[in-house]
Amino acid sequence: MSIFEYNGSALVAMVGKNCFAIASDRRLGVNLQTIATDFQKIYKIHDRLYLGLSGLGTDAQTLYQRLVFRHKLYQLREERDMKPETFASLVSAILYEKRFGPYFCQPVIAGLSDEDKPFICTMDSIGAKELAKDFVVAGTASESLYGACEAMFKPDLEPEELFEVVSQALLSSVDRDCLSGWGGHVYVVTPTEVTERILKGRMD
Amino acid sequence: MKLDTSGLESIAPLFGASNELLDGLSTAPAFDLPSNVDLDGFLKETIQMVKPAKGTTTLAFIFKEGVIVAADSRASMGGYISSQSVKKIIEINPYMLGTMAGGAADCQFWHRNLGIKCRLHELANKRRISVTGASKLLANILYSYRGMGLSVGTMIAGWDETGPGLYYVDNDGGRLKGARFSVGSGSPYAYGVLDDGYRYDMSIEEAAELARRAIYHATFRDGASGGVASVYYVGPSGWKKLSGDDVGELHYHYYPVTAGTVEQEMVEVTGA
Amino acid sequence: MSKQQANWSPYDNNGGSCVAIAGADYCVVAADTRMSTGYSILTRDYSKICKLADKCFLASSGFQADVRALQKNLAARHLSYQHQHNKQMSCPAMAQLLSNTLYYKRFFPYYAFNVLGGLDSEGKGCVFTYDAVGSYEKVGYSAQGSGSTLIMPVLDKRLQSPSPLLLPPQDAVTPLSEEEAIDLVKTVFVAATERDIHTGDSVEIVVLNADGIRREHVELRKD
Repeated sequence: MSIFEYNGSALVAMVGKNCFAIASDRRLGVNLQTIATDFQKIYKIHDRLYLGLSGLGTDAQTLYQRLVFRHKLYQLREERDMKPETFASLVSAILYEKRFGPYFCQPVIAGLSDEDKPFICTMDSIGAKELAKDFVVAGTASESLYGACEAMFKPDLEPEELFEVVSQALLSSVDRDCLSGWGGHVYVVTPTEVTERILKGRMD
Repeated sequence: MKLDTSGLESIAPLFGASNELLDGLSTAPAFDLPSNVDLDGFLKETIQMVKPAKGTTTLAFIFKEGVIVAADSRASMGGYISSQSVKKIIEINPYMLGTMAGGAADCQFWHRNLGIKCRLHELANKRRISVTGASKLLANILYSYRGMGLSVGTMIAGWDETGPGLYYVDNDGGRLKGARFSVGSGSPYAYGVLDDGYRYDMSIEEAAELARRAIYHATFRDGASGGVASVYYVGPSGWKKLSGDDVGELHYHYYPVTAGTVEQEMVEVTGA
Repeated sequence: MSKQQANWSPYDNNGGSCVAIAGADYCVVAADTRMSTGYSILTRDYSKICKLADKCFLASSGFQADVRALQKNLAARHLSYQHQHNKQMSCPAMAQLLSNTLYYKRFFPYYAFNVLGGLDSEGKGCVFTYDAVGSYEKVGYSAQGSGSTLIMPVLDKRLQSPSPLLLPPQDAVTPLSEEEAIDLVKTVFVAATERDIHTGDSVEIVVLNADGIRREHVELRKD
């Protein structure tokens, strides 16, 4: 089994009308053994920027700490938060530093720009950015997620509809994956508020 | 190598038995083998390519009233769940059950084959085959295919003239008699619950609940187990299905969610 | 031992996706018509659906040569069955035959992933899904082949019916009407075509019901 599948994960980010949603499952496992069912895979960078890290849990946490450190330095120097595009480039650069011994993570970045335009992006473990207008997915359930999102996604959804679509896509996908699931975690971010919800899911 | 293909023979066609055209189709079926020297290596590669390696939790135990057999219902290929509704408890005849773990096709086929053999035994001897006998038939077949890559881990449970019977049979010909078994990737978790809660003098209801709980806990911890927890009971008058519960609902039955933790209050963004 | 044997690999994967949905009085069997090997498309117009009997259709993806050998084998056996019994094989009987046919190649498998769809003796839709070595299961709907991982979660969401293993048993009929089922099939193939390079070109849909057989073709992306 690949090192990317060691802990198991499912991540998805989707764009709505002046808003975005980012969602993950809650499992942390060691191969097939479930260790925890309240594991955080989505991290807040600032109020309008979220980062999801799929893949190896230990690398995800290390990478997150390095990114927070770099973001804080940026805040001190520039006295403002990073734009999502800038942050994506930062993640990409940090990943490429380890080109020949990479972090075994596939990040998903979702944020709102200063003009309230949603931005989502994913990249591979060595930092090749892939920007998308609709949705991005990552993790062991990525194939199922691609199918589910491709069939359920509609452009310009309102926040509540977006939450519904993301949650349904996530839950039906992780139900076809052994290594992710055990509940879900959804953030819907609009220019004025952030809604965080824990989803009840199948616990097998 | 000599393979035991007895019992594979189909009944001769009603007419035209000597028809050349039919020969290839209706003679005793045999297994096609590749014309390859390294059969073992070839099989290993091929089987990895096509077979759903099935993570499983199955268990069975003997107690005062008879035998309880229970299993989950998930089939997976790598990380992908190919089915959530597999029938892993196979009804060999009204007094005997088999469980499946390992290769789905291997278990299905050889249990079907065992069912035929048990029925033939019944017709020839005018009485039902013993659990001991049936499990030995299966073990002997599997032994004759040893080293050819079959993957079977099964329990044969039933009621015969000597009372309840339970055997564990596996693909390299192993056959064990016992009072308590669990097979599959989720078995360590199931054993934990089973060994803790097991008493010989349980009632049927207690035994069924123990089996169901053991399967549930295994599905919770084991990524390759899940779906529906089925529980069967075999007593003097044959087997009976006692329960079939969706594990997705069973979790919230055992551990009801307290209101606060499911949905959290909306958080206002500060400084947006 | 020669070197040739060390590299002996008799299989290829020609890709493609198959879907079947069973309803109360109908059955839909569908498959795309692309045949590919690696990154190349061999043909855009190859039917993966094979008519085994009047009320029994087989959709298979995997290795085309093995699929053809399997189809011919089943056709021959079905012919001999018709001669012996003077009737067509029922769908559940065909399902068991396919399972055994696949298992007798257990040590040199057909590289074929099959879905069998048809109507049973009461006219109800039935779908059987297989692995390559003959393990099979009667289900309400199924997807096989290269796009199955993309298609299954969508089918699950729209069609999820109570498991047949539940006790007390619950009625497990697909809630969709025939038209809705056909629309769903089109949706999932469009979705799978977006993300699976082995699925595309067009989708062939066979609908079986009391009136007989109906075929539909819908164009898909060709890139």
